[in-house]
Amino acid sequence: MDAYLITIGTLIVIYAITVYGLNVIVGYAGQISLGHAAFFGIGAYASALLTTKAGLSFWEALPIVILLSGLIGIVLGLPSLRLREDFLAITTIGINFIVEALFLYVPYFGGALGIGGIPRVFLFGIKLKGMAFFLLCLSFLALVIFICWWFTRSWGGVACFALREEESAAASVGISPVRFKLLAFVIGTMMAGLGGALYAHYMRFISATDFSFPMSITFLSMIVLGGMGTLWGPLLGAVLLGILPELFRPIVDYRILFYTALLLVMIRFQPAGLLGEGSIVRKWLILKPAGGRP
Amino acid sequence: MQLFFEQLLNGIAMGSIYALVTLGLALVYGILRILHVAHAAVYTVGAYAGLFCYSYTGSLLLAFLGGMIFCSILGVAIERLVYYPLLKYPPYVPLIGSIAIMLSIEEICRLVAGPYILTFPATLPFPEFQLGGVTISSTLTAVYVITTVVLGLLWFISTKTELGLAMRATSQDIPIADAMGINSHAIVSIAFVIGSSIAAIAGILVGIYYNQVYPTMGTVPAYKTLALIVVGGLGSMPGAVIASMLLGVAETLLIGYADIPLPRDALAFIAMIAVLMWRSEGLMGSK
Amino acid sequence: MTDTLLQARGLSKHFGGLKAVDQVDLDIHTGEILGLLGPNGAGKTVFFNLISGVYRPTSGTVHFQGKRIDGLPSHRVAACGVGRTFQIVKPFASLTVLENVLVARGITRYGTFRRLWGPWQSKSETRAAMKILERVGMAELAERKAGLLPLGNLRRLEIARALVVGHQLILLDESFSGLRHEEISQLETLIRRIRDDGITVLLIEHNMRVTMGLCDRIVVLDHGRKIAQGKPQDIQENDLVIEAYLGSRGGRHAA
Repeated sequence: MDAYLITIGTLIVIYAITVYGLNVIVGYAGQISLGHAAFFGIGAYASALLTTKAGLSFWEALPIVILLSGLIGIVLGLPSLRLREDFLAITTIGINFIVEALFLYVPYFGGALGIGGIPRVFLFGIKLKGMAFFLLCLSFLALVIFICWWFTRSWGGVACFALREEESAAASVGISPVRFKLLAFVIGTMMAGLGGALYAHYMRFISATDFSFPMSITFLSMIVLGGMGTLWGPLLGAVLLGILPELFRPIVDYRILFYTALLLVMIRFQPAGLLGEGSIVRKWLILKPAGGRP
Repeated sequence: MQLFFEQLLNGIAMGSIYALVTLGLALVYGILRILHVAHAAVYTVGAYAGLFCYSYTGSLLLAFLGGMIFCSILGVAIERLVYYPLLKYPPYVPLIGSIAIMLSIEEICRLVAGPYILTFPATLPFPEFQLGGVTISSTLTAVYVITTVVLGLLWFISTKTELGLAMRATSQDIPIADAMGINSHAIVSIAFVIGSSIAAIAGILVGIYYNQVYPTMGTVPAYKTLALIVVGGLGSMPGAVIASMLLGVAETLLIGYADIPLPRDALAFIAMIAVLMWRSEGLMGSK
Repeated sequence: MTDTLLQARGLSKHFGGLKAVDQVDLDIHTGEILGLLGPNGAGKTVFFNLISGVYRPTSGTVHFQGKRIDGLPSHRVAACGVGRTFQIVKPFASLTVLENVLVARGITRYGTFRRLWGPWQSKSETRAAMKILERVGMAELAERKAGLLPLGNLRRLEIARALVVGHQLILLDESFSGLRHEEISQLETLIRRIRDDGITVLLIEHNMRVTMGLCDRIVVLDHGRKIAQGKPQDIQENDLVIEAYLGSRGGRHAA
């Protein structure tokens, strides 16, 4: 396959993994997060440091990276337990700016130069590049989608839905808001950590600006576009927002404008996303229910 | 000591400008409960519009007027075309819409005026002062005076006029305000006119102060002012002004004196998180 | 003597200087319908929230089946087996009626981490949830979206959820308010049937007529204090109660 297509495909898959994590936090548990790129970055930096400075292999580092991301997710998810929605939105923006600033200004994290020379991933002694790495990412994505599917069918998942809908009613049937908000944060940030680790070993060079606030907005836009809280929405959103900038490449100068204007039109006229309740795609796909029910 | 005073004076000027931008954000949040990130784009447009008027007419007065009128139209357009129809959705929906507007306007500025930094070679007609060996330049004087006048006017409008009363009623509860015979939609639009006009003034002042106008000049204020309205207590205007002043001074002094490993733009957010942990409703907020 | 299922002693809640609930003793006996009556602002809802764990009492204790539950958060009180409804209905709006009840079926699992991972829509769970819906007369609405139901059905849905949680005790927060006449009498029948199934009911109500007809025993609060308790007919003749109600009759009807 075309190397160009593989590059775009790999990035889309990595973003999709990360965005599925965000969907657990925002779509399932209803906790707004505008700083998801920070966790994506924490995964990337952790894996990059463990493999370049501590000499671990990708596979040895991965469990540590995922656990670390989840742990930081708990700590930074704590504000969500006591802040109301708007405060939480701004706090997560703040977390993103502070984490980016730490990457940029702490010499250990490579400063403005970032971290280079991140090793490729080996599997059974084979160096994974191009198509092989794409397939590796794709298998991780399949795993992540499977976990999300399982989660929506499990008691843990339905507890998060209940919290999203009505927190006090959820508590009245025994659902601890603290426990399940944190659960969603942990699952979500672990997935972001996984995405970040794959990103680091794919780019092989990372710097703080890769994980800045606009990236968080891109992630959130992917979910909003695809359909918040749905199983396939994050994938659809990642694919669309991954491909569109490439399609707009011929009109170089107007590319970003098209992109942002499209986001504006989407959120203005389809705020539930392409796969969400009452969306155009749903109306096309789903036939009118039988039996005259509304 | 002289350096300290110079830094302090610059810090107060910085804080004044933050206050002017943050006020619009607090005003909009107070009434619509929307985080109006695109307000910083309105501020950028204000700087461009002011510069445009100034270079064609050579009059600063017309520059301010032109910027204020243009920004008011832009602000009301954003409110009518995007925010108002999105009010019934969860808060992240208008927030994402606002961020999309912000990025789109930045891009339009880049495409229309070019990606480079334009200069704003104007001198504000204000006197210079000498104070114990420290010079207060005419630009600093202008920033102080204009900010004081704007704050005074705003205070007068919101506490002493019927319009202010109607605005407060609308910010309490739109349906009830409607029931009391207030045309709340018109009040919302007036709030956007006021906020956007002040943003235009801030944009032009910053353009002259740094002698720079460029497409992304709103990016950092966009998010920093969000932190500021949180610190001030969402929607509280006095809180927003106090928080802005404190941040302006703290940033300038810290850059001058302390050797901290964090950029000054993260300071606002660190202060915000510290304040939230201490008082989860902000400095002047109510539950 | 009858068994005491829930026992509150010296229960108080102060908000600043306001004594919303002040030194209230209250026993709920097993198998009864107990009415908690009082004009608006008497402290009924605050008292209710003290028992259900929404507020932590300023002082006093609550024991449920001999176990101390005051100060526990709502979800822990629920896990002890106290079901409740809300005056302002709180359905899980985007879920179906059946799913709303299924969520409550998780009550035995939400507290144990390793029991969270099984499927929640299994056949046996669905069957059990359908049984509850049949009990409250909502079986044919099972697949409807909860957010689209009229108020009368939502009140029943909340009772269904409360029944799943509260095997022994359910707390009903003004379940009759806003209902039409025929809905009220249907709900009265339902609550009697629930009592006859052996479940104890605490009913908060400011509608005198409903309370008098339905409750086995009534406790009256006014200004945060307990002013009377006894059988409906005793309450009806109690001077303090008449005064409390007459004194605020205008306000009560305006609400």
